[in-house]
Amino acid sequence: MRVATDIGGTFTDLVFFEYGKNNEEITKIKVSKSDTIPGEFEKGIINAIKKIDLDLRDIDFFAHGTTLVINAITERKGSKTGLITTAGFRDVLEIARGTRPDLYNFNFKKEEPFVERYLRQEINERINYLGEIVTPLNETEVEPHLENFWEEGVQAIAICFLHGYKNPKHEKKLASYIREKYPQFEVIASHEVTREWREYERTSSTVLSAYVKPIATEYLDNLSSNLKKLNYEKSLYIMQSNGGITTVEDVKANPITLVESGPASGMLGGVVLGKAISKKNLLVLDIGGTTAKCSLIENGTPEIVTTYNIEKTKTQAGFPILTPVIDIVEIGNGGGSIAWLDDGGKMHVGPESAAANPGPASYGKGGTYFTTTDANVICNRIHKDYFLGGKLQPDKNSLKAAITPLCDALDMSEDEVAKGVIRVAKANMVNALKSVSVNKGHDPRDFSLVVIGGGGPLHGASLAEELQMPEVIVPLHAGVFSAFGMLMSDLRRDYIRTDVLLMSTENFPLITQIFKQMEREAIIAYERDDYQKEAITFEYHLDLRYESQEHSVKLQLADLDNLETNAIEDDFHQLHEKRYAFSMKGTKIEIVNYHLVAEVTVNKPVIAKVDKSSYTTDEACIAIEQVDFDEEGIHEAKFYHRDKLGPGMQIVGPAIIVEDATSTVVPPSYQVAIDDYANIIITRKQ
Amino acid sequence: MSLNKFTSDIIQDSLISIGEAMFETVQRTSMSPIIYEALDYAVGITDGEGRLLAQGNGVITFLAAMSLVVEETLDRFGKDSPLKEGDVVMANTPYVGGGTHLSDVAIITPVFYKGERVAFTVNKAHWTDIGGINPGSVSTVSTEIYQEGIHFPFVKIKEEGRLNDALVSMLEGNVRLPKSTLGDLFSGIAANDVGAERIIKLIEKYGLDAYRQAAREFIEYGERISLKELKKIPNGTYENSGWIENDGFGNGPFPLKLKIFISDDQMVCDFTGSHEQLKGPLNLSRTGLETAVRAAFKAITTPTLPANNGSFKHVKLVCPENTIVSAKSPAPISVYYEVFLAAIDLLLKTLGPIVPEKLPAGHFRSVCVTYISGIHPVTNNFYVQAEALSGGWGACAYHDGNRGQFSYAHGESYNIPAETRERKYGVLVEEYAFHNEGGGYGEYQGGNGQNLIFKVLSEEAYLTGAFLGYSIPTWGLKGGSEGSYNYFTVIRTDGVEEKYNIVTNVKLKKGDRIKLVTATGGGYGNPQDRPEEKVKSDLKNGYITKAQALKYYNVK
Repeated sequence: MRVATDIGGTFTDLVFFEYGKNNEEITKIKVSKSDTIPGEFEKGIINAIKKIDLDLRDIDFFAHGTTLVINAITERKGSKTGLITTAGFRDVLEIARGTRPDLYNFNFKKEEPFVERYLRQEINERINYLGEIVTPLNETEVEPHLENFWEEGVQAIAICFLHGYKNPKHEKKLASYIREKYPQFEVIASHEVTREWREYERTSSTVLSAYVKPIATEYLDNLSSNLKKLNYEKSLYIMQSNGGITTVEDVKANPITLVESGPASGMLGGVVLGKAISKKNLLVLDIGGTTAKCSLIENGTPEIVTTYNIEKTKTQAGFPILTPVIDIVEIGNGGGSIAWLDDGGKMHVGPESAAANPGPASYGKGGTYFTTTDANVICNRIHKDYFLGGKLQPDKNSLKAAITPLCDALDMSEDEVAKGVIRVAKANMVNALKSVSVNKGHDPRDFSLVVIGGGGPLHGASLAEELQMPEVIVPLHAGVFSAFGMLMSDLRRDYIRTDVLLMSTENFPLITQIFKQMEREAIIAYERDDYQKEAITFEYHLDLRYESQEHSVKLQLADLDNLETNAIEDDFHQLHEKRYAFSMKGTKIEIVNYHLVAEVTVNKPVIAKVDKSSYTTDEACIAIEQVDFDEEGIHEAKFYHRDKLGPGMQIVGPAIIVEDATSTVVPPSYQVAIDDYANIIITRKQ
Repeated sequence: MSLNKFTSDIIQDSLISIGEAMFETVQRTSMSPIIYEALDYAVGITDGEGRLLAQGNGVITFLAAMSLVVEETLDRFGKDSPLKEGDVVMANTPYVGGGTHLSDVAIITPVFYKGERVAFTVNKAHWTDIGGINPGSVSTVSTEIYQEGIHFPFVKIKEEGRLNDALVSMLEGNVRLPKSTLGDLFSGIAANDVGAERIIKLIEKYGLDAYRQAAREFIEYGERISLKELKKIPNGTYENSGWIENDGFGNGPFPLKLKIFISDDQMVCDFTGSHEQLKGPLNLSRTGLETAVRAAFKAITTPTLPANNGSFKHVKLVCPENTIVSAKSPAPISVYYEVFLAAIDLLLKTLGPIVPEKLPAGHFRSVCVTYISGIHPVTNNFYVQAEALSGGWGACAYHDGNRGQFSYAHGESYNIPAETRERKYGVLVEEYAFHNEGGGYGEYQGGNGQNLIFKVLSEEAYLTGAFLGYSIPTWGLKGGSEGSYNYFTVIRTDGVEEKYNIVTNVKLKKGDRIKLVTATGGGYGNPQDRPEEKVKSDLKNGYITKAQALKYYNVK
């Protein structure tokens, strides 16, 4: 048996899979939910375990994803952190990059750094860009700073020295000095977080990792010991932002790798689904209450980026984090996103959201704003008897009160306003989907659209229409999609190193040497966790650019043994052309970063095919009512219950398929086939 | 109202998103650090007649440029020689058409749908070198534009899809970093192509009529909303003056004069009386002044909304020819940005007391640009390090001034990291930190300026720089005190320190240090009203000294 748990802001989910010992097919999926307990997150998990009397002795594999790290950062609930840096550079963290995205607002206010100036201290040492020591380090110089940190209640210390990515000797020396002499501090040095250059980005990453280190350590230790008390003997695996899992010890060393742990598993669910149904190119769209997130999976692999930015908005620069993260674009456009008119009378939807509380106006819980969900209710795309899983009827009075101001201001009927809100919300989502596809040189027509979350299936077909995508997939068990992702991913560690070098045959020995060095690091790290060298597979990537450019493009190498300049150059020109509409053949190419991916495959169960339904299509139909399909008109649509649909069944639009967490809209010009795994596959009628 | 309204909203949002895609293409592919780090560029989409529909700005200095450069292109390629599909025009003329200085090159691409011109995609970016007497194409002692680089007066770099090889060769033969310059050219052309392709797709989807209607409504929207905000500002005539401290030859200061008339439906900015154009390169073209005026208007009306032609219908610029802020050919102009900032500063200083909740006290008022050129000590390659420095901002009605922030003329600009700088230019950075030279006291404290100190490791190198604000400090608002000054020094290996503000080609030897200092911003409100715990916190953090706390805040 395998277990995956996921801590969200409101609920802690536990998904539990039983599978056949012989064929490893999943035979049973069970879900247990408990309330998330802020400050004592591990209790939520334990409660969820107890709720279904799970015997942990039977569990072979326990994986865990958490929003702990990102919440601690966005809510500023991490630990008091001190920074030790190279003499002359204490203000790098506050100056940041000096940028002001809010161009015309001269009252602009820069964000406060995570470490106040009096806790940013300097020490004499210097390494140059070649990695040579210019000024040697005397680690005892740190003593007065530590004393001061202790008095000020500092719990975590970040160390970031100039060119530490190139030569981490000084960082290592100081880190071990503090760890040995002052074990009361949690310490992390920049080279343990990233080996990429740019001091502000590296300092920011290190500081944020330090900031969450004490709470992440405490939480993971508590969770491990509580699981042990419940007789769980095997390893606990943690979902990272890079789309792989790793051990608790590894995460504790650099907890910032968890920053996008939650969304990453959702996107990986897409990969797992794609594997099962042999679809390698997917756009995954997850529409929740507040935001919509999307990610592109090409050839069965999501794109990994190493520069992530937290709290970046159109008006603020945010805080950079150099850690491998699945490339996810997130926009403030979910089911609860509020529709509003600006002073010029232009309609906007989001980013403000009614969230879960008070929620959309139709929830009748005091929400006074009109949201995307409310618009779908008015168009009858969400059936009143199956609203919120059938627990509630939409509150008509509250709905009316919320929409009336918009109707008055626009001089439009309720139906028209509702359709307008859906159109604007849809356009926002189209732009987000384009930014992960078209803007990066991908043609959406080569991809299937996977829609998850409460809002995904409501909008999937019309988004696919707009982007001319051939099909929409609404996976079965969309609610446990993240859990799928977690249970079916492999162990993964990323090693990235900046060492700028000309791309040429003469440099191949150096290139190979750098990768081999990283391989050795990976082997040591895995061996610490009892994985044998033979079990590790390596992937090699280079971040390349034309000489004089600043930004680079990631290119995967087939292997390390047969490097060929021409082949690499051709691939790079092609990639540059695909992404940026031009290439510059004849211009020298530089390597900026070396990126090694070290994976260990774990045994995984496979998604099982589902039995045929015992109902006929007619029996699955629960209602026939008028639904407004906007451009396609108002039609009598059949409502089906998803639980009664099974493999092989066909449905033609106009139709709505309801289930507890969502509704799938099938417009008049679309049709549905239920596949062997009970996924809903929507395509255009021939 | 009909549902078509939403189609218009969606087309407008899509145009903005297309602008973002163009913007990203330039950033990710250009080869001049001033473009990819300082984001000293802008992209725009106009309708077929040059009316701005969407723009993406990295900096504010090109706010008016996108539409003006297209209007000028249309003037020059009129009925007799109309633009054809596949044409691409290139222009860096400073005096007209949104021009700034020769280093800023605009690429203009007409977009055709079924043979009809429906839009322009355009971008303008600062190329590191465009030839001329000095590396980086900036001189503080030029007396004619001919010394400042090569001039492309609205010429076709592509004609019906064919690259103009002769022009490319001319460009290659006249600049110091030809590879990087050509890289920037191709990056600019590609960005326009990216935009053009998406605009055509948009028209294919919604139809030409809907597209045109959306464009029209968008401009009306810009007009309506800025007019509504303008009405909130008290009517009246407001007057003030500012200074350009130096013409590059040690003469000055030279006055700038401004009268602002505000009525319910118009703001007129009249610069009549400003000093005549200067002998040295501290001149601004009228078209550059137009941007300053529009930026100030936008800041007090609709700072967060997307800009289009309608947004500026109710602001008017009045200025006679041949002044410091309306220079004519062949006036030198390469340091235009300092005059641009002086003009914005004067506009905000005049408007500040009228709308003190919308505008802060004075900021460090200089781009603080330096150019260092030399031979890299390790690679032996020739380099030009061009950089702007961040400084202190004025405090405002809501908070203390920002520390270490680029000037108003910037925006989404990024500093040069020490780690990339040292590899690229072979210098060694020794300090990058705030100073506490004082000033800016107030209920809200002005933001600290900063120091940047680095050592030259080349056998020899040359320093050019222009920091205004070296003799006139940043101004305080509502009782806040003045801030401090911008300047730079060269510290020789024997310890002798030479102080500069505007200079060209100071010879540097290996081991010499350059110290750049930016000013602290002005304070806002009476210093006596600053809560003691804030003063104590500033002391603890070393933003102010003990002596300053005692003298100006009476806090021990």
